Amino acid sequence: MENTELKKLITELSGLMSISGFTSVDGDRLKSLLGDIFDECESTPAGNYRFVKRCGRENARKILIDTHFDEIGMMVTGIRDGGFLNVINIGGLDTAILQAGEVTVYGKDENGVRHDIYGVVASTPPHLRKPGDAMKLRDISEILIDTGYPVNELGKFVSVGTPVGFRPVYSELKNGFIAGKAFDDKACAACAAAAIAETAREDLIGDVILQLSNFEEAGGGMTGALTGAFAEEPDCALVADVNLGRTPDTKKSETVVVGGGTAVTLSPITDRRLSSALIAEARDAGIKVQVCVAAGSTGTNTNVINLAGKGIPTVDVGLPLKSMHTSTEVISMNDAESLKNVIKLFISSGKIAAEI
Amino acid sequence: MYSLIKQIVCCPGTSGSEGATAELLSDIMKDRSDEIYRDRLGNLICRKKGRSENARRVLLCAHMDEIGFIATYIENSGLIRIAPIGGINFTASSYSEVIFENGVAGVLVPDSGVAAGSFAADVFGVDIGASSAAEASRRVKIGDRCAMRQTVRRLGGGRICGRPLDDRVGCAILAEIAEKLAGTETEDDIYYVFSVQEEVGLRGAGPAAFGIRPDVALVYDVTGTGDTAGAKPMEVKLGGGAAIKLRDSSVICNPGLADELAKIGKEKGIKTQFEILRAGGTDTAAIQASASGCIAGAISIPCRFIHSGVETVDLADVKACVDLTVAYLTK
Amino acid sequence: MENINENSRPSGIELLRTLCGIFGPCGNEERVRDKIADILKDSGIASEKDRIGNLFVKIPGGGEGYDPENPVKIMISAHMDEVGFMVRDIDADGYIRFICVGGIDPCVLCGKRVVFMGAEGEVKGVIASKAIHHKTAEERTTAVKIENMYVDIGAEDYEDASRWLAVGDYGRFDSEFVRFGINDAFIKAPAIDDRLGCAVIIETLKRLASEGKKLPFDLIAGFTVREEIGKSGAGMAARRFLPDYSVVLESTAVADLPDVKPNSRVAAAGGGGVISLLDRSTIYDADLVSAALELGEKKGIPVQIKKYLSGGNDAGSIHKSAYGTACLAISAPSRYIHSAANVICAEDYFSIRELVYAILTEHSFKK
Repeated sequence: MENTELKKLITELSGLMSISGFTSVDGDRLKSLLGDIFDECESTPAGNYRFVKRCGRENARKILIDTHFDEIGMMVTGIRDGGFLNVINIGGLDTAILQAGEVTVYGKDENGVRHDIYGVVASTPPHLRKPGDAMKLRDISEILIDTGYPVNELGKFVSVGTPVGFRPVYSELKNGFIAGKAFDDKACAACAAAAIAETAREDLIGDVILQLSNFEEAGGGMTGALTGAFAEEPDCALVADVNLGRTPDTKKSETVVVGGGTAVTLSPITDRRLSSALIAEARDAGIKVQVCVAAGSTGTNTNVINLAGKGIPTVDVGLPLKSMHTSTEVISMNDAESLKNVIKLFISSGKIAAEI
Repeated sequence: MYSLIKQIVCCPGTSGSEGATAELLSDIMKDRSDEIYRDRLGNLICRKKGRSENARRVLLCAHMDEIGFIATYIENSGLIRIAPIGGINFTASSYSEVIFENGVAGVLVPDSGVAAGSFAADVFGVDIGASSAAEASRRVKIGDRCAMRQTVRRLGGGRICGRPLDDRVGCAILAEIAEKLAGTETEDDIYYVFSVQEEVGLRGAGPAAFGIRPDVALVYDVTGTGDTAGAKPMEVKLGGGAAIKLRDSSVICNPGLADELAKIGKEKGIKTQFEILRAGGTDTAAIQASASGCIAGAISIPCRFIHSGVETVDLADVKACVDLTVAYLTK
Repeated sequence: MENINENSRPSGIELLRTLCGIFGPCGNEERVRDKIADILKDSGIASEKDRIGNLFVKIPGGGEGYDPENPVKIMISAHMDEVGFMVRDIDADGYIRFICVGGIDPCVLCGKRVVFMGAEGEVKGVIASKAIHHKTAEERTTAVKIENMYVDIGAEDYEDASRWLAVGDYGRFDSEFVRFGINDAFIKAPAIDDRLGCAVIIETLKRLASEGKKLPFDLIAGFTVREEIGKSGAGMAARRFLPDYSVVLESTAVADLPDVKPNSRVAAAGGGGVISLLDRSTIYDADLVSAALELGEKKGIPVQIKKYLSGGNDAGSIHKSAYGTACLAISAPSRYIHSAANVICAEDYFSIRELVYAILTEHSFKK
């Protein structure tokens, strides 16, 4: 897959509506985007999508690749006069980035047919704010979304519980950097799917299951990854999620360089032999990797997958990303390419297979 | 319904010590289900068999346990030091009557001079009227449990108040659903789960669900309301009907199931409302995360002043929860 | 204690000394695991490990009261890992920046000796921070944050340090096993939490084997990984073996110090094994708790109830695993836990050893 194709897959997947809990909304679109790469596809009760590519051998190893499909967003909590909506956040959402932003309200008509409504996050003009409140950040419960609909008309499509997401718009920056919503974590899903597509069936070291899991960003307990891994009982797992990228306001020891290659997290909860073998293999192949550490939590689905069932040896890899949880997350296509190649190694390398 | 609620509410049962409540419910459920057992953690599970061998398994869950206290130390003065079991709001519990499981009565009081803002477990004690450690330890031992007095009374307008309505009202709803379905043959295999240890972190329901492996689960528990003076914004109202949970801080419910319940409510003229709870969790989360997962939702009972001695619910909402569930299971 | 074998005391202490001396921070337990497997093998006891690194011994039941069709299963477990460190970054001057693995109070770190395990072997170092001469008046009265500490291994610069250590390498406290106090009643060592539990299990298995005793249940002994970060191997073990009952051997912090109010002291060193009624992660099985207390009284084995609700242990993940399991925790009352200087009373080790044996051989476990 060429760089432009991978970029297209990243923006297409990221553009889908898959706010935590609502992963089935664009399920058919997801299947049509990825279905051709895999032998099987199904959804699970927790709202995960499970894509399988078989290696063609009997009693093959089972390799689980997990990326989360859900994205952060909002949910309607009330409808107000003038066509305004109250909302609550789904997942970690900074109200500092909300005001005057563009959103999509994912409404439905009375027959359950999808009816997207454009909205803008309202902001109070500065001269109407109380003195001293000029720099005060509003709580999510004070945020209003302006839909431009009369309230009775709005009620036909929107109710308490209707999901709201960032409007999907993508920009190309210099040097192969791109900006947009929900690269966390669908850019990783795209890299994993591309890696699997580019690996011939006979080169796979086992049956590969790509799990696009629900409930990583919200919904408590990373339930999607946990239940999926329990049902799957794989021999090992690789979790690909985004890593906090270095910006002027962050510490060197807590971030990775965007454009610096794939991040591999070493932790008590990741398998050291598998991780070290993957780092060595990647470096031999000339793929850029950055090593970081975490104590009790990697902040990703690794937290629950490694514990699932009788325990699953897990590797945690990451795509460096700036401005996480905004509508303008920034990644480097070079890093995406690296991640794709690292995942290719993981599912095809004999040295990895020897460690499983 | 009120007398059933009263019977279930007035039985003691702090988290981890739900035996008496389980016995009572087991007795109530024996003619309303085909099979009754308790699992290793003490969850009471009552099964009503479905029409066919491979029927869909539907788990209905309410928790038996209530919040309370455990004796940890006896002072020379005879004052009994306690640790909380579950989310105790010491402002709401202070200066109230508590009853130990062996019937010993006492009063829960803060140390003198402690301001309400500094209320916490280690400045509270239970005075059982003893004047020495020796006298106190003849009546209460380290490890004995107590709770604020279990009681319920009618207010006006079909509303009731007392404690622990959280979640004995849910237990009563399950018993009532079982009563209504007892005579009829249902498509689904129905498991009424009266769970343990919800108040200490949703510990009982997960293992129960692991054993049952439900396809669909519905949890019946109380939820807060936005209609009291000074309440944080929340659409749920007392008397507004069965509250179909969309999310709380522990779970996002299956939106398809929530829509289906709302639709049934509308068709059958049963009052429902959607619930989004900002803070608080329910067994729904533990059940959704158990084993390979399931389609999980919750029908909540709107309740004011949760975890106080005057929890208040509207009997019309309780009835709506029962009716909505029966309609869902017999559609 | 009627059953205690005086002759077994010195060897028990030696076993504890051996185990506490092994490098085994949370996530890097392999040296502890290999040593335990060797010790067991020397006594003819076979063990097996799983792919996460837990070690198991399975002892099938038999004899009177054993139901081979549907046996009662009991798991007894202790964790092999200890709190420790991991290299986070090496700076240009060759100082090691680190993270703590497990809960360590920053107040116990400054000026302590540590040892890291690099690719070429052990690297000794000291945890350093700004000297008092450089501190402002305010800094002199506040604890140093971990991000402001560094390990000095004597390296000249980044290049030099990188010859010995890499990002991700593990470290632990560098601290000896010392007996002190009157009649050497106390022991100070690193990692008593929870090598003491491991030692008790090893001694119990050896005793059962040497007596040729058949228990009326299947016994699974688990030496588990990663308790200290709460992502424990014990839950996996419980999901693997689905025990009906589980006994967790642990250490608990005690605060039996003069300036702590009696109701906050948790337990007392020298008072025997600590039985928890409930803690932040578990409500323990009431029947098992009473059985342990009654057996202690009957056999004259010191045992005490945990008097303060705090902490948590592997029982938190074990009791909720799969179908659920009835749990009992017996903890060694341990002062200055999670530091370079854990302190226990040696007598508590023997009390726990006897109590565990009594529970396994005398309590009647029902299916």
